[in-house]
Amino acid sequence: MNPIERLSRRQLVVVTGKGGVGKTVVSATLGRTFAAMGRRTLVVEVDPRENLHQMMGTPPSGGDILHAEPRLWVQNLKPRQVLDQVVRDQLKLELLTRRVLDSPIYNHFSNGAPGLKEMAILGHAYRLLHGKAEPGSPEIDTVVLDAPATGHGVTLLAAPLLVADVIKNGPFSRMALDLAAMLSDPERSGIVVVTQAEEMPVEEAVELRAALNERIKRDPELLVVNGLYPPAPAVISGVPGEKENELVSLWRRRRQINERELAALRQAWKGPRVELPQLAMDRGPALLSQLGKCFAESAAKLGEGAWT
Amino acid sequence: MDLISDRHPLIICVGSGGVGKTTLAASMAVLSAREGRNTLVMTFDPSLRLKQSLGVGDEARHKEVRVALDAPGTLYASLLDARDTFHRLIERYASDEESRRRVLENRFFQHLSGTLGGILEYMAVERLFEVRAEGKYQQIILDTPPTRQALDFLEAPARIVGFLDSGAIRVALKPWFDEEGHLRAASKWGALGRRAERFLDEVVGMDLLRDMAEFFQAFAPLYEGFRQRATEVEAMLRSQQTLFVLVSGAGEEKIPDTLFFARHLDDAGYNLGPIVVNRVHPRFVVEAGQLPSSNLCSPTGWDLLTWAGERDRKGLVELAKLLSREQPLVDVPLMPDEPTDLASLEALGNVFVSRLSEWERYVSRTS
Repeated sequence: MNPIERLSRRQLVVVTGKGGVGKTVVSATLGRTFAAMGRRTLVVEVDPRENLHQMMGTPPSGGDILHAEPRLWVQNLKPRQVLDQVVRDQLKLELLTRRVLDSPIYNHFSNGAPGLKEMAILGHAYRLLHGKAEPGSPEIDTVVLDAPATGHGVTLLAAPLLVADVIKNGPFSRMALDLAAMLSDPERSGIVVVTQAEEMPVEEAVELRAALNERIKRDPELLVVNGLYPPAPAVISGVPGEKENELVSLWRRRRQINERELAALRQAWKGPRVELPQLAMDRGPALLSQLGKCFAESAAKLGEGAWT
Repeated sequence: MDLISDRHPLIICVGSGGVGKTTLAASMAVLSAREGRNTLVMTFDPSLRLKQSLGVGDEARHKEVRVALDAPGTLYASLLDARDTFHRLIERYASDEESRRRVLENRFFQHLSGTLGGILEYMAVERLFEVRAEGKYQQIILDTPPTRQALDFLEAPARIVGFLDSGAIRVALKPWFDEEGHLRAASKWGALGRRAERFLDEVVGMDLLRDMAEFFQAFAPLYEGFRQRATEVEAMLRSQQTLFVLVSGAGEEKIPDTLFFARHLDDAGYNLGPIVVNRVHPRFVVEAGQLPSSNLCSPTGWDLLTWAGERDRKGLVELAKLLSREQPLVDVPLMPDEPTDLASLEALGNVFVSRLSEWERYVSRTS
């Protein structure tokens, strides 16, 4: 079985990497790929400034689950809304709920308590996958989570362990243990790291892998190298204009940096890798659909042996 | 505008991750030292290459390291490390060895200082304040953390003060637990109290509550110093002598981010200097039909660079329309290579400064 097919059978796929490398576009591409394979898929973005809907050509989610395409849903999750809902569910009484939600102590606690927001994000995915969400939510086979940038991405994945460590019993603790079990089980969850073949993103991707090994004892299933420049031919002819030299040297230089960093990755990163080109297209559904084809083209080369 | 001048003893670079903020901060610092100042550049986790360009290693996490720059002034570099600073802060404010040990060994603290965003960001500002207070440097250039929420960093002191004033501490400081680690209230209220204690234990766990209570009590003697310091840091960030440089990526899709930062800084009363659109692709005008045709999954470099040049130009035009005329807006072209040594850092700084004065000439000519 191809690594991408395997990944599609996981319940939760967390997409992480340095800011600005294209995590959201890769999450959307994975979501569409899984949906095309027959999985009912939800792509969850956690960012106060929504991006996903622009790419998908849907209206902004505003926190709701929106149907985008056959078997594909999208959502911009607001952790604070999820936490407030937990308070409402627990307290039930309107007056008491409002007092809690308005209190500065709750505000500081929900902004700052270690692991709380992360648990809210993961808990939301967990409830959907286990059919415990509010009535009317679609049935979902796979959640693709567009995680916050690297440092925060590790924090997100390590949060259940941290919470399980400080809270020893009760419902919160049981949920943390369930989540930690799911995140450490490669049959149920997958981690995808996105990077670009440039110095800082590659350094961060390699550090991220080490941090995942250390903190949650697992390896990512897939590395996606995004935004690659095409190889420049040795002889370039038929180029008009006086800026020729500048353009040629810029193209060559970009590609050289890509190649240097790809070589560094081949050394430092064992495991399946998909490479995506930089496309000359603006952000939007057309880009997404073209990138989907390039993703399939590159993923088809992974074969079976690359998966460990 | 004299960007690098004695009028701005503190310059703070803000912006999203991956836009070249750190490199630009370092290049400004080289220019500053070149002009004869004692300059310090403070950054978070720069790339290996930038560390190599400056010639500093991990020792810069604990102290400022002198950069081997042959210039009339001196250049120092320092890497900000939140955990390190927090420890130092506790060492300083703890009244004795015992209370220092109690804070540092508390389990709640160990999770807290590793994960609690606000504290981490606050620590960076705290370190900046320490260095400023020493008065050793005539100019400090600070690079902010590479997150989309870089503004958390600026708001950290106010958040700390807010937290200390919110009443949470007062509540936490009450003697909730007796000698055996049971809730005092629980033993007073008999069966009902024991039920309440069991309930709390179920929901959040008594261990955590005990750790938290102990942490706040151990931390209590430190509050006043902490609070006063946070207020002073806040005043320093808002001083009119402190200049903010907003660094942005090129291209239309970066505009919302850039505007968000610019408006937020302005509304909050920070002194916003130039907005720098960094790594702008050069523009190539190529007649249709002259380009080699390309496969979509492997476009040619011509397609890409022509498209990127056009995209970046549109972005700049749009951004200029949305900003006020008085707002300095500077584009710095994409260089084939990232700076790899002090000379190329200086070259980048010079490009930035000359683009800024071109903008000024343009504005004065057209007004």
